[in-house]
Amino acid sequence: MKEIVVISGKGGTGKTSFTASLAVLAGNEAIVADCDVDEADMHLLMQPVVQKTENFYSGVIAEIDQFICSNGGTCVEVCRFDAIHEIDEQHTVTKLDCEGCGYCARVCPNHAIKMVEQNVGDWYISKTKVNNILVHAKLGIGAENSGKLVAKVKNEAKILAEESHKDFVIVDGSPGIGCPVVSSLSGANFVVLVTEPSVSGFHDLKRVYELVKKFKIKAGCIINKSDINQEVTEEIIQFLKSESIDHIANIPYDENFTKAMTYGQTIVEYDKGELKDLVVNSWQKIKELV
Amino acid sequence: MKIAFTAKGAEWNSEMDPRFGRTEYILVYDDEKDELTSFDNRDIENEAHGAGPKTSQKLFEMGPQVLITGNGPGGNAATVLEKAGIKIFIGAGQMTVKGAFDAYKNNNLNEI
Repeated sequence: MKEIVVISGKGGTGKTSFTASLAVLAGNEAIVADCDVDEADMHLLMQPVVQKTENFYSGVIAEIDQFICSNGGTCVEVCRFDAIHEIDEQHTVTKLDCEGCGYCARVCPNHAIKMVEQNVGDWYISKTKVNNILVHAKLGIGAENSGKLVAKVKNEAKILAEESHKDFVIVDGSPGIGCPVVSSLSGANFVVLVTEPSVSGFHDLKRVYELVKKFKIKAGCIINKSDINQEVTEEIIQFLKSESIDHIANIPYDENFTKAMTYGQTIVEYDKGELKDLVVNSWQKIKELV
Repeated sequence: MKIAFTAKGAEWNSEMDPRFGRTEYILVYDDEKDELTSFDNRDIENEAHGAGPKTSQKLFEMGPQVLITGNGPGGNAATVLEKAGIKIFIGAGQMTVKGAFDAYKNNNLNEI
């Protein structure tokens, strides 16, 4: 069973469009995981029907027990986030302002404050329109991300893949280079870097590749929207050569990607010509490289 | 010498865990006493933040000179491990613990 993780560094390069296409092409050979839990959008193209929902708990918020609280106000003095106020003569924590640091709970002389774990989102196991399984998650507004939920989503996908003897786990990775990306990457057999020939796209490609290189994971690159800037595309190609990263394909900018998206379709379903062939051939190449 | 492994179980034939910060188990082999000890790290699943440094701390307490793992520690864990002076070997992510140990002895792993 091979784990293929698609990342980009910079957002908006076409990572999810590409990953969703792979998910459609792979069909029942793969379990799919959307690890971009902050801004999950694979479901827009995969039309999943949720089979199982689980709550996700992360981070804590202070809660004042009214019966024990004597309105001494020590908590208000120490709160750095101005989250505690006297409302109707009772000291109360404003949930949205509380950062969960726990200082108030520590200093309360009556021990009236508890730090309570929060249900900040859910994760799901769903069946997609092409009848394969998508493991995905949704974080609540203002909820903080970390490697934890990403690890959870990926792990569940791996367990399912092992149980049902699938050949691949295809992962839509997290953007950036922080802990969620580290969590997306560790354990991967192959990384697909989806980039675009813009100055920031190339810069962020190099940054995220540093992490891939440190982890010594084999990588291939798709230069999406490759014809919008031939000069930068050439620079990227040189970079790929110098780092021995497989140059999987150049995909030209095409409004059909957007049109397909508005119909909730991946490019391989919507397009009948060159774009579809490019993606189909890319998938073939990735399977060989893995 | 004590050699540590990131693993998915507590035995020599357990699969290696390619991850460091969120690894399921830490195994330590003492080659002088020929003893394999394990630490169940699975509670780390509940930690949102600081998984890397936390696991590094635990590893440090177990006292190995060498760590064998899959991809290697992420940025935050790496900073802690560097201070501890533990030698890290990667590339064993798809092996069993025994296989990883043999690869290490045969110089088939990458030191980082």
